[in-house]
Amino acid sequence: MKVTFVQLDGVEKTIEAVEGETLMEIARDNGVDGILGDCGGSCSCATCHVYVDEPWQATVGKPDDVEEMALEMVYDVMQENSRLCCQIQLNAETDGIRVKVAPGEY
Amino acid sequence: MQISETGQTQGGCPIDHNAISLADATMADPVLRAHPNAYYEALRREDPVHFDDKLNMWLVSRYEDVVTVLRDPITFSDKLGYEAMYASGYFEEFKQILDRDGGGFFPDVIKDDPPAHTRVRRLLEKAFTAHRVATLEPAITETIVGFIEKLADRAQDGTVVDGVNDFAVPLTISVICEQLGIGQFNAEKIQRWSGAVTAQISKMQDREAMIENAKLICELQHFIIQEMKDREANPREDMISDLVHAKTDDGGTLTFAEAVSLVRAMIIAGNDTTATAIGNLLFVLATQPEVAETLRASVDDERALNRFVEELLRLEPPVRGLAKMTIEEVELGGTKLPKHAHVLVLYASGNDDETKFECPRHFDHTRRNIAQHVAFGVGVHRCVGASLARMEIKVAACEIIKRWDNIKLAIPVEELTYLPTVATRSLERLPMTLSRRA
Ligand code: HEM
Ligand code: FES
Repeated sequence: MKVTFVQLDGVEKTIEAVEGETLMEIARDNGVDGILGDCGGSCSCATCHVYVDEPWQATVGKPDDVEEMALEMVYDVMQENSRLCCQIQLNAETDGIRVKVAPGEY
Repeated sequence: MQISETGQTQGGCPIDHNAISLADATMADPVLRAHPNAYYEALRREDPVHFDDKLNMWLVSRYEDVVTVLRDPITFSDKLGYEAMYASGYFEEFKQILDRDGGGFFPDVIKDDPPAHTRVRRLLEKAFTAHRVATLEPAITETIVGFIEKLADRAQDGTVVDGVNDFAVPLTISVICEQLGIGQFNAEKIQRWSGAVTAQISKMQDREAMIENAKLICELQHFIIQEMKDREANPREDMISDLVHAKTDDGGTLTFAEAVSLVRAMIIAGNDTTATAIGNLLFVLATQPEVAETLRASVDDERALNRFVEELLRLEPPVRGLAKMTIEEVELGGTKLPKHAHVLVLYASGNDDETKFECPRHFDHTRRNIAQHVAFGVGVHRCVGASLARMEIKVAACEIIKRWDNIKLAIPVEELTYLPTVATRSLERLPMTLSRRA
């Protein structure tokens, strides 16, 4: 299965990954710039913020209430298609997904 | 040293101090620690990576440098920094006492460096995910409301109550014991144990206090070991059982000593810090009526409440400074640090940095970059209990403002005292009066 991250510097990283991993874990393990994953996927740090590419938005859906609240931490750069990618698991449906890393201050 | 707390302003922003000179100031001074913001400001402006020779540590004060240190956990070792801090000056004797009378000396495995840190860190992360914490909210709200009502009863007819020792401290102890599955506990004892452990990173402990504290830690460890033995035999739905039976990602298990250190960390790390935050909440409500008004207007708005909590943590961060140590010579913020430089990362000064947070001494829960404060740290050691702490503070804030009115200090601000430590800025007590909301 594949995931593509578009970094802030424009570099695209397409990564081969296995089902069940979260996008945050995949990004962190493969050194995608800008995805820090400080809280290890606990949905409490918002350092894994991405914008989901249009064709994939319906598939991954909207953030739930808890994720909404965590996204508040980055509300200055929040968009309609914002997600915390530790909350997105790779599966048959998301195989091939493409996301952009959102800007963050640290 | 004298610091006035008059409401001065600078370009329209409140400042709570006069200008200060670095030459004769030190964090070893309790008066300075009680009202540190002038000192932080002077540090940031004049010598952002400053050697405090009384403390024998380098103070890191600018937001940017704080983040740089925390984002590089290899160069700035948490393990070495912590060890050099621990029981400083008396470590060997301290360790002997624990080995002899405390069931052993159990180093804190969570205060390690990657990759060893990562192995145990993953275990703790699972315990307090934001989603899990959300499921705990109803039960914890009930507990907190119980404490709020009890204090309102005691405060009837203008009786002075202690917002720290009658409220914030027992409340947080009761929440964490519930999570750990400790049914029967003596809150006063846990408070003393907790204080004894945190004193080890205070830098302000003399030998007599060290011996007294070591005795208390021995008691604490025997208590923990007994609880763990019980869960080994009879696993239950609680965190002590989880830690005793935990499997790490590599398929391994924790040693008994590692598990003891983690249970101890869970009891301690969340206690003084969260209690301090709730004490600070009461202090702010009692001294800044406009902030109380903001909170009152926010009770039905979950977003606004969360922002309120973040701004409280930014303005009055419970954790002031924790230690790291350089593993090699490195330049930080224009200063060359030698190998094995002992560094005190001043989270509180980072949160107060005017180049990052406009008008930093002003409470403004609408600020744009509110969540970039460093009250929980950043990077691989970022607080694992952050979601739990945030929820506890939010529930306390919301339920207090619904139920209490006329929250006032019962002594002059200048008479408030703080725990003798560089690690946190914690009120020792908060005498106050309040009434029930009509
Ligand atoms: C308002 C309350 C709290 C504050 C301000 C706070 C703050 C912090 C800070 C600043 C750090 C260190 C980051 C670093 O090393 O740079 C930390 C780490 C930690 N906190 Fe908290 N904390 C709070 C509540 C809690 C709670 C409720 C728990 C657990 C139940 C907890 C457990 C921990 C643990 C285990 C660590 C070590 C993490 C590691 O090194 O990987 N904390 N906290
Ligand atoms: S990794 Fe912390 S919110 Fe996603």
